[in-house]
Amino acid sequence: MPLPSISRRNFLTGNHSDARPDLDRLNPSWPTKRVAKFVREHLEKQPPIYHPPKTDEIAPVIPGTNNTESLQEVNWDMGAAKHLLSRSMFGPKYPEIKESSENSMELELSSILSYQPLPDPPGDWVDEDAPQWDALTEDEILELLQQYRIRMKDLGYWWMKGMMRNPVNIQEMITLFWHNYFATAQSKVIFPQAMYQQNSVFRQYGLGNFKELLRQVTFAPAMIIWLDLYQSTREEPNENFARELLELFTMGVDTYSQDDIVEAARAFTGYLTNGVETNYNFEEGSGTGNWWTNKHDFGSKTFLGQTGHWNGDDIINIIMEQDATAIHICTRLYKWFVYQNVNETVVNEMANVLRNNNYNIATVLYFLFSTEHFYDENFRGSDIQNPVTLMQGLIRKCNMENFDFSISFFIHSQEFLGMLPLEPPDVSGWPGYRSWINSITLPVRKIQATSLITGQSPWGNFDMTTNVRALAQSMYNQNEEGYASEQIVKNLGFLFFGNPLSENLEERMLAVLLDGAEPYDWSINAPPNDPQWNRMKDLMIYIMRVPEFQLS
Amino acid sequence: MKRRDFLKSSFVISALGAALPKTLIGGPKRSSLKTTSLDSDKIIVLVKLNGGNDGLNTIISHQDPLYYQLRPTIGIPNNQSIPITDSLALHPALEPLLPFYQNSQMSIIQNVGYPNGDLSHFRSSDIWDTGSSEDEELFTGWIGRFLEAEYPGFPENSPEFPLAIQFNSANLLEFKSSNSNMALYLYDPDTMYSIITGNYINDQENEAPDTYGGDELNFLREMDLLSFEYSQIINETAENAPNTVLQYPNTSLGQQFEITARLIAGGLPTPIYRLYQNGYDTHIDQVGSSPSTTGRHSTLLSELSDSLSIFLSEMDALGVLDKVLVVTTSEFGRRAFENASLGTDHGTSAPTLIFGSDINGGIFGENPNYNQIDVNGNMEMEFDYRQIYSTLMTRWFGTSESITSSVFGGNFSPIPFLNQTVAIHDESHILKKFKLHPAYPNPFNPSTTISFNLPSNSIVKIRLFDLNGKQIQEFNLGQLNSGSNEFILRGNSLPSGPYLVQVKSDFGIRSQKVMLIK
Repeated sequence: MPLPSISRRNFLTGNHSDARPDLDRLNPSWPTKRVAKFVREHLEKQPPIYHPPKTDEIAPVIPGTNNTESLQEVNWDMGAAKHLLSRSMFGPKYPEIKESSENSMELELSSILSYQPLPDPPGDWVDEDAPQWDALTEDEILELLQQYRIRMKDLGYWWMKGMMRNPVNIQEMITLFWHNYFATAQSKVIFPQAMYQQNSVFRQYGLGNFKELLRQVTFAPAMIIWLDLYQSTREEPNENFARELLELFTMGVDTYSQDDIVEAARAFTGYLTNGVETNYNFEEGSGTGNWWTNKHDFGSKTFLGQTGHWNGDDIINIIMEQDATAIHICTRLYKWFVYQNVNETVVNEMANVLRNNNYNIATVLYFLFSTEHFYDENFRGSDIQNPVTLMQGLIRKCNMENFDFSISFFIHSQEFLGMLPLEPPDVSGWPGYRSWINSITLPVRKIQATSLITGQSPWGNFDMTTNVRALAQSMYNQNEEGYASEQIVKNLGFLFFGNPLSENLEERMLAVLLDGAEPYDWSINAPPNDPQWNRMKDLMIYIMRVPEFQLS
Repeated sequence: MKRRDFLKSSFVISALGAALPKTLIGGPKRSSLKTTSLDSDKIIVLVKLNGGNDGLNTIISHQDPLYYQLRPTIGIPNNQSIPITDSLALHPALEPLLPFYQNSQMSIIQNVGYPNGDLSHFRSSDIWDTGSSEDEELFTGWIGRFLEAEYPGFPENSPEFPLAIQFNSANLLEFKSSNSNMALYLYDPDTMYSIITGNYINDQENEAPDTYGGDELNFLREMDLLSFEYSQIINETAENAPNTVLQYPNTSLGQQFEITARLIAGGLPTPIYRLYQNGYDTHIDQVGSSPSTTGRHSTLLSELSDSLSIFLSEMDALGVLDKVLVVTTSEFGRRAFENASLGTDHGTSAPTLIFGSDINGGIFGENPNYNQIDVNGNMEMEFDYRQIYSTLMTRWFGTSESITSSVFGGNFSPIPFLNQTVAIHDESHILKKFKLHPAYPNPFNPSTTISFNLPSNSIVKIRLFDLNGKQIQEFNLGQLNSGSNEFILRGNSLPSGPYLVQVKSDFGIRSQKVMLIK
């Protein structure tokens, strides 16, 4: 098997060290020329953000695994419950998996897919009006921009905390999914209010009707800025948004023509934002005010064979009639929740479910999560966890979600692992899958994970580490056979590895835990200061270093 | 970040540094380590008999009636053991080691322990690992402190070879220093084997499942090997090693000895190896019901002596047995009297065995005194285990007494299984080398002094990189004179963070990390 590695030299000299998408995509005159100049000057001083290079390699299709039957009798057990929870939330804990497996699958699915109210926002600033830039002095602008940057970090921090404190529910995971789907970067959007607003849309509409979600994302400040919709006018329609709308957000490549993009771009003209408000009226489904009157192209357009005086909403309506749209959405859902290698039969069935249920996302996820296909042994441990799922999930699994991590711990780690939320590499999101792993990121992943046990990280030390004793006790059942040490090894392997625990690894883990002692020498009730717990810390570190740990 | 915190966490920064392009750092050259007093070609192979070896049945008082009184069932019969003195004999399973004893290549240090022996495996192992007393708790290991004192530049300036290799999976206490783990850890024999063979899967039990999950696991395993810092030098070293006709036993310990032999034969300069043999916690069925020369303990000792004797023979054949010491340790011995389950319970002192050709072979210390057992049935200790470790440090590696006593918080008198060595430190050759000294101060704000030594006049260029490998600044210093030179690096225009300073001369490239903290 060829090794899909990034060589150390490539990491240095490859396309990525000098690539500055964050700089390249800045608009020199938005929101004003003066502000844009300051934004650029600041960004230029920042080091480039590390984005792992894409790798093209995908594992070969294994024949005989295309179990496309759906809604059959899924063997709902601990393993199935773990698989579902690991894919649909951050860091399910052992007792949660156990409880989940004791419920019926239907109950569990309804609960996981139930709508959650929005959390409290990260600050009052989320409702702050856009400034009158021209009325501000240079110093005031610089100060405000600095404040925006701090709020943007706070927003990311707030989100990270939300992930690691998530209940047994899909809300935070689906929010991350849509962030990756409608990938929008804060460095270009500039306004933290806009990024927060988009994030809230993902939470609020992420499980509902896709068309409404798409509208809420499209006609909001973040997207209008991100894909230059505000620059798209009757005289000079900008194809940027129209192209990504068709290619990435709805139909997928090769399902439309360049003419369709041109015509759609004409429909998406005359939209405007000041960073907080827009000129779009949701009830009327069209723009308002002078800009709209002067800059929207009211002429006739022919899009996907249909001719009319289309505006943005009309284009979306036509797109939603296309078969390709549901297939594209379901393909992205499949890649995120099942595996990179798409099973077309299953995706087609999902697309039918989506279309027949008014594009309701929760319904198609319920369908997917109750197929035998989803729980196929093939997919257990097939997910190379993205850095955020890995770290936020790990923190939660280690019962450290209420611990007061520093912002820099999160931000630096995500920078080095190649996934800084709110700063995706481009509109197609993170390439993900095997790109997450190279000879740079894998060691950092281990360091980052083990810092929860050692209390030492490159971004600062903690004064509190995982309480391994509590962790052990949370997964111990005195009614089960076998010594506590053996049970803990099995259950840790179950909790932290996606693949079934091999006998060989189980033996090695037990050897670390026992360090020469016999299984009965290790007691679940040993007092907290007993040195046996240091062996469990050793075991946790060992777990975090084996390759199995990266997979969910 | 506070300076103290920075220092504590610097090991992780170094681990990131390890991920930095080696091409940038200038290829596989020795880093600029402080001159260490460690004799560069001397090696210690420590073998932990994990679980508490029954020393009383290993080196047997075969003429002592009390021994047989206390151990009526599990005692090794006089006619079965291998006498080595009038009063002492080896367990029959140690027969392969007898020639080494006869050639004065084996020393037996009797009754090794520490005052007030603790009977918990975990606690007693911690005591041995940290080099502490029974009533103190240390959080660094004796080897960690020892290597830290000898290589103060670690881990910022780590050598190209691992300072210690241990065949266990955990982050073991014995190797922890104040800011790092001095051992190449994680490496159970399986993993080490895969590095050496370049193939992760060496047996069927370890094979990834035939699923997508298994495919991804295989992918990750490949990447794991690729990204491992020392995999290249270990792989190359093992390939350099001459082939051997000796067959090591197919046991975990046999595998560990085989790998160690390959690395030593291939010329790896790593000074310390730690091997592990599990299973010595013989409460139950230590001996077979009859005869007492069978059973678990006998099997364990056979495994040990079979692989150890082959290892020693290979070292001898390579002509390096005078450079290699093998030392067995165990967290404690066993109780003087047997229990009702054909076994023995946790005890205190036990003999330590030492092998090599440059040692004073024979017995050190008194025979175990069965008249002096304490109320719990435990033997009295005679030698503190730290006497052995101190002897290894000062007399084998030539470490100064001040470092040795700082490692153990006091002086422990040497045991004469090794002669006093006269370490010869020829520092003259050092000055002839192109050498980059540690930057001072580091971390720094706003400036730090980069000093380096040139063997002769050379054009020098200094370049500064960020952690992404991007060049930030370049300074052409022109032609500089031989000897000591300094350059002041100013960080006024730079953001906080770690940087890599690279000094390039006609004699090569030297690099080190510096940290700007504003």
